[in-house]
Amino acid sequence: MHEMGIAQNILDIALSAAGKEGASKITRINLVAGELRGIVPLQLTFCFGLVSKDTIAGGAYLNIDEVPVSGHCDGCNSDFSIKEYEYVCPKCGSTKIQLIGGTELSIKDIEIE
Amino acid sequence: MKINVMQDVLQANDRIAEENRQLFEEKHNLVLNLMSSPGAGKTSLLERTAERVAGKLRLGVIVGDIETTRDADRIGKFNIPAIQLTTGTACHLDANMVASALPHLKLDNIDILVVENVGNLVCPAEFIVGEDYKIMILSVTEGDEKPLKYPLMFRESALMLINKIDLLQYTNFSLKEARANALKINPDIDIIEISCTNGAGLDEWVSWLTAKHRDKTGGAGHA
Repeated sequence: MHEMGIAQNILDIALSAAGKEGASKITRINLVAGELRGIVPLQLTFCFGLVSKDTIAGGAYLNIDEVPVSGHCDGCNSDFSIKEYEYVCPKCGSTKIQLIGGTELSIKDIEIE
Repeated sequence: MKINVMQDVLQANDRIAEENRQLFEEKHNLVLNLMSSPGAGKTSLLERTAERVAGKLRLGVIVGDIETTRDADRIGKFNIPAIQLTTGTACHLDANMVASALPHLKLDNIDILVVENVGNLVCPAEFIVGEDYKIMILSVTEGDEKPLKYPLMFRESALMLINKIDLLQYTNFSLKEARANALKINPDIDIIEISCTNGAGLDEWVSWLTAKHRDKTGGAGHA
């Protein structure tokens, strides 16, 4: 259900960026969404369609690149992907892990006319 | 034409959360963002906490609900300032909603401000409101696998309270499983088992709260 608020934020940011360029239309928005953010793409696309309807972003394609969860082990200095929320280093078994991917939620770029 | 944006989608929220945080810092408020499913015992926890810290720590509460002021009414009975935010259809509190409640609270007279979020295991974990810690309640009637199903909230929380342990014998909830599942998602999470009905574990919870308040204020209350 938080997709509606997120869709509104995406629209605000895209409209502001497009406005600075004097764009008449936004055709595509490239979004990066970490797996941990729990974004449901279908729902987000639907909500975005609703909020953007009467704006220059109406009909824009919302492209969502999902980023899997990955971590860095402080113990043995290795990077690895985290599956099934196993926050354990596969090499040395340490649980001292920094997340390096999977929590992002940002607009990378937009395409305008 | 392609233009680079590289902007965090929740940056507007995070900026307001930072303003809230600075205000709380100035006023020496420890701020907790309390989250759980509906009916896990958030308001009961606040009632039991109010009884135990009365005369020692001054609480303040911001309550988010989709409808009604029942929770604020319950908490208000303990002479605690409680502001109800009815969110309409919103499934979580965000930084702006919390900011809108702050002018109605005398923050100088509050040691610990609890933001009782909307009952929901998903959305509230997405939005920071300026808190020092996110804390959550999992009740035994919900099931011990919840950390695996809703990982973000467990990952983000500093403390998980397992509530309704007086009902354990009537459920197939395993404390051992629940602990293991939560620690798998978040190895640093603190876990306290409580019952708001018979009072089990509540002294340990109040100790946790008192210690965090001491950490934040360096022991200098302003009572």
